[in-house]
Amino acid sequence: MALATYSLGDDRYEWALAMQAEYEEARAAGRQLGFATGCLVAAWREMPRHAEGRLVLADHALALGLLIPVAFLQFACAIGLSSGQSGIYGMLAMVGTKDPYLANAQLGALPVLLVLWLLLGSAHLRLAWALLDRDWTRVVQSGSLIAAAALTLVMLVGVLHLEAAFLGPVVGVMVVELILILAASHLHGRASPETTLAHSAW
Amino acid sequence: MGRNRKPSKQMLLLLQALSAGGHQWRHGYDLMKETGLMSGTLYPLLMRMADQGLIEAEWREPAQTGRPARHVYRLTMAGVAFAQGAFSSETVPSSKAAFA
Repeated sequence: MALATYSLGDDRYEWALAMQAEYEEARAAGRQLGFATGCLVAAWREMPRHAEGRLVLADHALALGLLIPVAFLQFACAIGLSSGQSGIYGMLAMVGTKDPYLANAQLGALPVLLVLWLLLGSAHLRLAWALLDRDWTRVVQSGSLIAAAALTLVMLVGVLHLEAAFLGPVVGVMVVELILILAASHLHGRASPETTLAHSAW
Repeated sequence: MGRNRKPSKQMLLLLQALSAGGHQWRHGYDLMKETGLMSGTLYPLLMRMADQGLIEAEWREPAQTGRPARHVYRLTMAGVAFAQGAFSSETVPSSKAAFA
């Protein structure tokens, strides 16, 4: 019932109270679980119909559909689960092959790359959380951290002549993330005046 | 303000329940029991009908102390006219047999 109330939002708050009152009747009749489940279904059916519900769905789609998978991809690169040459083991295998004089420098940079990947993954998780919390200050902070880590990664890979083929998709995904988060903050700004922080933060 | 689409079977059941007994105020849970509709079907219908001006709702103090106030619903004049039009053109299913 609490989840149904949350899902209905401010627009339908009176209906949420109405459902809660009838829930007491259902509970007295021993049918509380079916009633509450139905109310949750009703609330979720309503979400696309009101502005706040659509915003919540969009935020969750962005967080669950893009930010969190990208975070786990970064972790996969860091701990060597990714295939090909984009992960830490791929980099290790390529050390010295392009330029033998850089082998020592490349080996020395691998821990830094590991930290950068972990940082990128953590920052993406933090960004997803901040987005769902609608904490735009943290969104900006996380976004800045991601941009800085990604730039450092690109520079390191370029300077050390490491395998750079994977960087194109990484940068592309981050550009898409930036556009979508800007769009989300704009939508939130239009929906609620207190989200002016979103605009000032940017 | 009114619907252009034919009312669904579920909506017809709800209209029938609201029309019965001289258009009295009805509680949501009572409508559920009478129509056999689940809460996941009933409440979206009630919300739609309220948005379209077919029903009106108000709060009533509970019969038992310690319970929250309850929402009650009844057809508006527009809802009564809509129901009459719907019944004249449809065969209304019986409340629970339709979903057996």
